[in-house]
Amino acid sequence: MEEIRTGVYICHCGSNIAGVVNVEEVARYVGTLPNVVVSRHYRYMCSDPGQDLIKKDIKELGINRVVVASCSPRMHEPTFRKAVEDGGLNPYLYEHANIREHCSWVHDDKKLATNKAKDLIRAAVMRVSHHEPLVIREVPLNPNVLVIGGGIAGMQAALDIANGQNKVYLVEREPSIGGHMAQLDRTFPTLDCSECILTPKMSDVGHHPFIELLAYSEVEEVSGSIGSFKVKVRKRARYVDENKCVGCGDCEEKCPRRTDSEFEMGLAKRGMAYIPFAQAIPNIATIDKREERLCKAACKEACPIRMNVLGYVSLIKEGRFREACEVMRRTNPLPAVCGRVCYAPCEEACNRGQFDEHIAIRGLKRFAVDYELKMGKHKAVPVERSKEEKVAIVGSGPSGLACAYDLVRQGYSVTVFESGPEAGGILRWGIPEYRLPKTVLANDIGHIQDLGVEIKVDTPVKRLGEIFDQGYKAIFMGTGAGMSQRMGIPGEDSPGVLHALDFLRQVNFGVKVDLGSKVAIIGGGNAAVDAARVAGRLGVEEVTVVYRRSRDEMPAIPSEIEEMEHEGAKIQFLAAPVKILSDNNRVRGIQCIRMEMGEPDASGRRRPVPVKGSEFTVEVDNVIMAIGQRVDKAMLPKELAYTDWGTLSVDPVTLQTNIDGVFAGGDVVSGPSDVIAAIAAGKRAACSIDAYLRGEELSVEEGGKVERLSEEEVTKVKERFASRNRVGVSKLKPETRVSGFEEVEHTYSPDEAQDEAGRCLASLVEGCFECGECKEVCEADAVDFDQTDQIIELEVGTIIVATGYDQFDPSVIPQYGYKKYDNVLTGLEFERLTCAAGPTEGKILLKDGREPESVAIVHCVGSRDQNYHEYCSRVCCMYGLKYAHLVRELTKADAYEFYIDMRCFGEGYEEFYKRLSEEGVNFIRGKVAKVTDEAITDEEKGKLIVVSEDTLLGKIVRVPVDMVILCSALEARSDADHVARLLSINRRTDGFFLERHVKLDPVATPTDGVFIAGCCEAPRDIPDTVAQAEAAAGKVLSLISKGTVTLEAAISTVDEAICHGCGRCEEICTFNAPKVAIKNGALVSSINEALCKGCGSCAVVCPTGAIAIRHFTQDEILAQVAALAEAC
Amino acid sequence: MNVKMDILSPYKEATDVILEAGGEPLKLCYQCGLCTAVCPWNLVRSFLVRRIIHEAQLGAVDFGSEDVWTCVTCRACVDRCPRGVEIIDVMRAIRRAVASLGIGAVPDALRISAKNIAGVGNPLGEAPEGRNDWAKDLKAKDFAAGTEVLYFPCCIPSYDPDVKTVARSVATIFNELKIDYGLIGTEAKCCGEAIRKAGHEDTFQSLAQNNIDLFASNGVKTVVVSSPHCYHTFKHEYPELGGKFEVIHITQYLASLIKKGSLKPSKEINKKVIYSDPCYLGRHNDIYDDPREILRSIPALGLVEFPDARENGLCCGGGGGRIWMDTAKGERFSDIRVEQAAEKGADIIAVACPYCLLNYRDSVLSMGKAETMQVKDITELVAQAL
Repeated sequence: MEEIRTGVYICHCGSNIAGVVNVEEVARYVGTLPNVVVSRHYRYMCSDPGQDLIKKDIKELGINRVVVASCSPRMHEPTFRKAVEDGGLNPYLYEHANIREHCSWVHDDKKLATNKAKDLIRAAVMRVSHHEPLVIREVPLNPNVLVIGGGIAGMQAALDIANGQNKVYLVEREPSIGGHMAQLDRTFPTLDCSECILTPKMSDVGHHPFIELLAYSEVEEVSGSIGSFKVKVRKRARYVDENKCVGCGDCEEKCPRRTDSEFEMGLAKRGMAYIPFAQAIPNIATIDKREERLCKAACKEACPIRMNVLGYVSLIKEGRFREACEVMRRTNPLPAVCGRVCYAPCEEACNRGQFDEHIAIRGLKRFAVDYELKMGKHKAVPVERSKEEKVAIVGSGPSGLACAYDLVRQGYSVTVFESGPEAGGILRWGIPEYRLPKTVLANDIGHIQDLGVEIKVDTPVKRLGEIFDQGYKAIFMGTGAGMSQRMGIPGEDSPGVLHALDFLRQVNFGVKVDLGSKVAIIGGGNAAVDAARVAGRLGVEEVTVVYRRSRDEMPAIPSEIEEMEHEGAKIQFLAAPVKILSDNNRVRGIQCIRMEMGEPDASGRRRPVPVKGSEFTVEVDNVIMAIGQRVDKAMLPKELAYTDWGTLSVDPVTLQTNIDGVFAGGDVVSGPSDVIAAIAAGKRAACSIDAYLRGEELSVEEGGKVERLSEEEVTKVKERFASRNRVGVSKLKPETRVSGFEEVEHTYSPDEAQDEAGRCLASLVEGCFECGECKEVCEADAVDFDQTDQIIELEVGTIIVATGYDQFDPSVIPQYGYKKYDNVLTGLEFERLTCAAGPTEGKILLKDGREPESVAIVHCVGSRDQNYHEYCSRVCCMYGLKYAHLVRELTKADAYEFYIDMRCFGEGYEEFYKRLSEEGVNFIRGKVAKVTDEAITDEEKGKLIVVSEDTLLGKIVRVPVDMVILCSALEARSDADHVARLLSINRRTDGFFLERHVKLDPVATPTDGVFIAGCCEAPRDIPDTVAQAEAAAGKVLSLISKGTVTLEAAISTVDEAICHGCGRCEEICTFNAPKVAIKNGALVSSINEALCKGCGSCAVVCPTGAIAIRHFTQDEILAQVAALAEAC
Repeated sequence: MNVKMDILSPYKEATDVILEAGGEPLKLCYQCGLCTAVCPWNLVRSFLVRRIIHEAQLGAVDFGSEDVWTCVTCRACVDRCPRGVEIIDVMRAIRRAVASLGIGAVPDALRISAKNIAGVGNPLGEAPEGRNDWAKDLKAKDFAAGTEVLYFPCCIPSYDPDVKTVARSVATIFNELKIDYGLIGTEAKCCGEAIRKAGHEDTFQSLAQNNIDLFASNGVKTVVVSSPHCYHTFKHEYPELGGKFEVIHITQYLASLIKKGSLKPSKEINKKVIYSDPCYLGRHNDIYDDPREILRSIPALGLVEFPDARENGLCCGGGGGRIWMDTAKGERFSDIRVEQAAEKGADIIAVACPYCLLNYRDSVLSMGKAETMQVKDITELVAQAL
């Protein structure tokens, strides 16, 4: 066995050790210990001559174990291991005894301290004899680097490293890089524009071939160690395709929802689809979607033309009424009409109806258009003609107008041929004025004409050929079904019997119609109800509607039936006329028969069956037949083909008729239907015509799917929101109504409309609710609501953390009035105010738009105060001076600096302070006690009064000002703890990240390979931040340049003979070093030496003692403990 | 050379005296002046707290100045001091230096009260035997081992004919609710809180020792007090001297009874009542809600608040021994308080401290508002509403 020859070296550390410990005595004592060949003491063992003593003794005395007793091993263990190695020994044949921090520094009693030093060294001597040479190995270092945080520190570090042609992954949590510096206006003391010096760097980062920017992303997991970290990054869904988005900002402009802009510190709003600021990198939009919508947008799905109901209702909620109209007009050519007469399938479908009452969508639509009209509608800009072809539309009813509207917007030249004297079709002549005033219709039609559609009235089309001859390449037939059905009962042709459509047409065009005092209307549809209500307005005393089914089957809009009854009309349900009774060519009544509901027929509707012998007579003076409408073939060109039902026969997909180039839609195809169905048909035909003219295949869009909320979903809504019924609209009193044709329903007031729109479930969630408006307007087709978060796995060798700071929230100091008084601002808010690109375009303005006459700048808000943060935030004095300068430069206001101590320590800083004194800024030395609006003199009235002691005067001062800027502290990020855990780094008590050594290793952390830079380490200004970032980059570059990592040699080993393979070591290890596997038929653990850090956790939990840590074996530890125990 | 200007010669001995007397925390002050700016004195006159601290740091205190005796120990400054300077301790230390070393004059009024306290155990100079006379007709029993609570009313409610109603109200409430309480013998003495703040440390030590021994020998486990000053010293200062008993302020006690449902004020007090937070209940001990809970439990009573309530509450001017000293007309905080109460349309100022009660009653009288404004201890209101 090798002879143990130990050399012991006791350091004086000047007087640090020798002043308390009697080093000569210790050396003498140590010389007597077993195996000690030489025992020396020296003034500074860490000096070169000190180290040479060791090397010389190894050579000359043949010592093979070394103990140095000096300071903490943290400081000099590496030094002496190196000396031992240089002397020719394995560096692990060395032991360190700490007789400074553990002895001389903490004891006063010299004798006891000397004894303790002896004990510590004796223990080290005993231990060192068990040391064995260990092999030191090196593994390659992955040259890729992760930088966390894209502020100025992160960007600078990334650029430095990438410029050395090393791959950098830069992860930024926000949608854009730039950090706080991007928010600053000017930088002290040079007053150069922050953006001007920052954006070139941002651009460099964005375009650098060696930087992969992962913005809107967060690091989720870090494993491994220096040289080979594995990192998981969550790239959050932007709901925008980064490769397609061009950063035009259209989506933000159209987004119906606004929220406080984080970048503008809440002084301006941003959309839910947004780009945080003009110079953002990457310059792409982000959609701020935070939770799933509470409803299924059933309104939109139920609408035959899929109007963006969520979008315009939300705009109304936000008070952006004109924009709401724009959204409506994108899909609907006749919003004012639909706001009145649409049967509103959207409302029926509205998911809020499952909760309390559905949203009054039709009323809101009407409100927005009415409001626009009231405020003075802008004339629409004509659409530039981009297509050569001309298209003819026959009929100016809703289908024709819709078709024309969509085609003209696609760039076609469109002419509408109307046989009647005015445009509008059935809307003009069939719907009574009290439901749809002529001016409202004219407004919608006017808009269509403004876009460039030509309407030729009094121009019936008899032959299709003559149209084609005029150069039109396609024709749309939207002529409607304007002829009343006949009933085929005796007396139907008697004078005094009218048909509803003829009746309504006459009234609408001002032709006088004579009616008796009692009138019966036959039928239950909208025409019947309209006729009944019109009859009432013409002075008829008794209006009776005769309908053969029951109320439930009545096809008219229920609210219309209700209003009709309010106006006094009666309904005879389950009655059918069998004969019109006349006397002397005058109607005197109708003979009816009672009906009962029989079995359902093929259509599913129950058929009314006459009850035998139940005939009865109703005495009336007139009968208005409203039992249905049909297509008037006589009005249509002869060559068109018809179905068995008497409607035009068209291809169900393309809507093309039997003649090439001729399309048809609306009532003329479907038979009598409603306005919105006709509009939908016209729009479909427009698509088809466009495809036809361009010779393309028609792509058919899937119809909407109306979904209902599940029970659980309804419950969820109920838990979050109180029930609130719809906001009612006022109506004319029935007695007033019947005296004329004034519109019955009033429109909402703006407040009511916003209130009602606020009930929309979709807009009750935070953030984007997927109304799809952005998707509609995005020309790049970049919006993608199906996007999901992605987890990206990276492998890097080193990491730089540059996560920056948060601004202290001064509202926790209630005396300063932040958030209580309008004109109390934080520093960052003021930065945005003075920034030319900010919310006031660089003007320093009060909330009411006035320029301030005096401004107070309050230092140390949350800094240097044990109630908040004890540290000095280092930048406030200087930026406070900058604010005073800007106040003086940009306004005529007086500036008051309330400071405690001015700290102007950097290059040009003190000079800047001097300059500000020259500029006439008032300096008051004292910590502000409060900011109040309670005036005690006239001079103070309407002002904010800043109260402080002027400590230099020894007087309380009350300074009345208009604006107060609080120089808020810089504090550690609210999630700094999370980041620290992620990277196994530590925080100081002030919350910032702890450096390895405050003076000598300021950017390293205790975790090898992880560095920190900028304000995440402590508050600092931009020059210091940049310097630190460059320092961190330098550290990383030197590691990359070396290319390898030295592995810890003092790591775990497994004695396979006694290992049971229980796996506890695997569970406890955070570095994934142990793995249990079958080896030679037995389950045993083995250690991956590249991963093991030698922390010892596995050895502690190992139940059999199979695991040992090299250099910390049981023999070594016990020898040391036993030696210490001797002292007791 | 004939030097005319004042020259500051740091007087290290004076600093040492102050530091030794418990003024250690003054070293931390960085002279920001926040204390001055929040000090209520500056509403009525100049009182540069910051400067006194700095003078103390340099040993340049003018021990003869009346400023030595000005601080009301309301704690407004201490609560917000950015360096955590215990300004009250510094003020107390300066006073202690004056009182013990005789390096300045103790104000006459204070000297008399101090003499009374030291002599007969109460500041009014009344006979110790008369301490429990207020309760003669109320069948309050003497405290005996096993009695649940000791009621300790404070010297002022015990002796002052105008304030006795406070103690009597408590006894009435306790009798009504059949609380097992007792009064301690006439050997009890002033709690000593205020005289300690006024610099008379030795007196305090002897008072405290007397009371601690008295309580211990009687087996007192729980003390209910009417004065926040008794509360403060019993809770925070007596334990250091060996006093081990639970101390409950009457408002805490009554609020807990209300919560339990055993106390239910039933008679209406149809008045607008404004509550003034006593410094030693509020800022010193964070008790803000219990008094308000009690007032809210009284039917028909309309509770209003001062503009600067709770943590920002204005002192009545009676703390730190000021209750025994004269405060010039125009400099009385209680006058400001009464004015504020009148502006709020209050009929009654409710208090929970005998010093507040004395000061506000004086102000109401001297301001000629006795017709329209009453000052009541909360316990008086509760007794009235039973």
